[in-house]
Amino acid sequence: EYEEKTGRAHRPLSPKQNVRKNLDFEPLSTTALILEDRPANLPAKPAEEAQKHRQQYEEMVVQAKKRELKEAQKRKKQLEERCKLEDSIGNAVLTWNNEILPNWETMWCSRKVRELWWQGIPPSVRGKVWSLAIGNELNITHELYDICLARAKEKWRSLSTGGAEVECEDAGFSAADREASLELIKLDISRTFPNLCIFQKGGPYHDTLHSILGAYTCYRPDVGYVQGMSFIAAVLILNLDTADAFIAFSNLLNKPCQMAFFRVDHGLMLTYFAAFEVFFEENLPKLFAHFKKNNLTPDIYLIDWIFTLYSKSLPLDLACRVWDVFCRDGEEFLFRTALGILKLFEDILTKMDFIHIAQFLTKLPEDLPSEEFFTSIAAIQMQSRNKKWAQVKRMLTFDNR
Amino acid sequence: GTSLEEIRPTYTYKVVLLGSTSVGKSSLAYRYVKNDFKESLPTVGCSFFTQILNLEVATVKFEIWDTAGQEKYHSVCHLYYRGASAALLVYDIANKETLNRAKLWLRELEKEFLPDEIVIALVGNKTDLAAEREVATEEGQEFARTEGLLFMETSAKSSHQVDDIFMAIAQELLKREQEKTSVLSQRGGSTADLRESRARTRCC
Repeated sequence: EYEEKTGRAHRPLSPKQNVRKNLDFEPLSTTALILEDRPANLPAKPAEEAQKHRQQYEEMVVQAKKRELKEAQKRKKQLEERCKLEDSIGNAVLTWNNEILPNWETMWCSRKVRELWWQGIPPSVRGKVWSLAIGNELNITHELYDICLARAKEKWRSLSTGGAEVECEDAGFSAADREASLELIKLDISRTFPNLCIFQKGGPYHDTLHSILGAYTCYRPDVGYVQGMSFIAAVLILNLDTADAFIAFSNLLNKPCQMAFFRVDHGLMLTYFAAFEVFFEENLPKLFAHFKKNNLTPDIYLIDWIFTLYSKSLPLDLACRVWDVFCRDGEEFLFRTALGILKLFEDILTKMDFIHIAQFLTKLPEDLPSEEFFTSIAAIQMQSRNKKWAQVKRMLTFDNR
Repeated sequence: GTSLEEIRPTYTYKVVLLGSTSVGKSSLAYRYVKNDFKESLPTVGCSFFTQILNLEVATVKFEIWDTAGQEKYHSVCHLYYRGASAALLVYDIANKETLNRAKLWLRELEKEFLPDEIVIALVGNKTDLAAEREVATEEGQEFARTEGLLFMETSAKSSHQVDDIFMAIAQELLKREQEKTSVLSQRGGSTADLRESRARTRCC
């Protein structure tokens, strides 16, 4: 019998339309096969089996319908949530624009504003809020930006023509250094958020990023270009006009923590790491001990996080929300965020050895859940034995001398 | 596991990638571990990879430290080579200056390690950029020969000789492992602790 079946298997199967018509619902093609009669050339199903198949099939349909209903409900709920979110963003934009921004000086440190701030600044006012919060201690004007940019362009020109030495006003910094810096900027621009495709050559913000970084190396030749900066400038460009982005960039980099890192002041960086470890031990003693046991020092993961202000390591929307609160709370929030990340992944990190922890933390999962992430950061206490971040840091600076 | 696996030892080696910025250190590591090529972001600090090699005589676990190339990071990150069993000094064959930088790295490693403490490979990357070549194969080869380094030209982009250089490093490490063992057994010492004896010091 087997041979006979296989021998006939190539024959065209009998038409099935009549079977389909008998069904009072439209099944998916694959499940429908269950109800099909066997091809005419094969012996028919026994009645008992046919009955059983029909029953199983009906059960499957019921299950499928249930699932569909659930999915539909879920979609509806998601839609409602999105509408609610959009509403609340809309409301937040109004509050920021009409109430907070016009009264910045008096309102920005109020409790209400601080709370709204934590929720994330709406993208349409984000740049303005960042600018105000970062401030302009350096008194940089748009004109100064133009001057720095003009100087940078001059240097690029003389570099590309292989021309004579640029006048030696940046004495102490060799021409080779400067050249390397300018060359490096070019290389790094194409490697900044490559998947956004806007900073690459030919992209709409390629020249803007180039200009800001070039202008900065002329404004601060003593700092120059340091890898990581391109990411910070890029995030600012996404939220501010060019000259304002430059002003925010220069002022941001002028903050003590950023200066310590971008000038690669090893001693000061160690002070920051040591202060971080005080709060690490306080907040996550078990994980802290595990890291110690594995010789996992904070520089392994903090260098990347602090240098790029998380813009390279977190999804961009989350990074922007970290920046929001960083602008509000200052440097300590960068370290609080680090502890939030460690807390979020405490369970799995505790089970890993050195190399896997290092690997994990320098390449965080791409699908970080934003609410859990911020809940985790919120749970971090930035007080150690009644001492705040700044006090702990000061104490350690003193110790290091 | 089979009885064969039980007698086959496992060695863990720290391998560090050193060299100028943008010579392809991250791309080499990525090609080797994921067998893929994508434009890497500039490395800030250090990133990490692991790879396991099941060889006939042993299992080799590589812990790869892929360091930042920019010199400014040097003062923070130069100690990342501490405790390494092998180092890849990477240069870009289309950029002569990067070979000089690789030579400077060698001088620095020589200060930190005795010759038999570390396997060093000189790696000329980006052979896919043949038209822009600034460093002749012979030049790299000759330098490696006089300094007693492993040498290979690679392309992380086209995958040329990437596996090979890591394999050559593994072979050299295993060879040294055997030499150590035979020296020890001649002295009547035990080999049991050999694997764990590798110190793991880190910076910062």
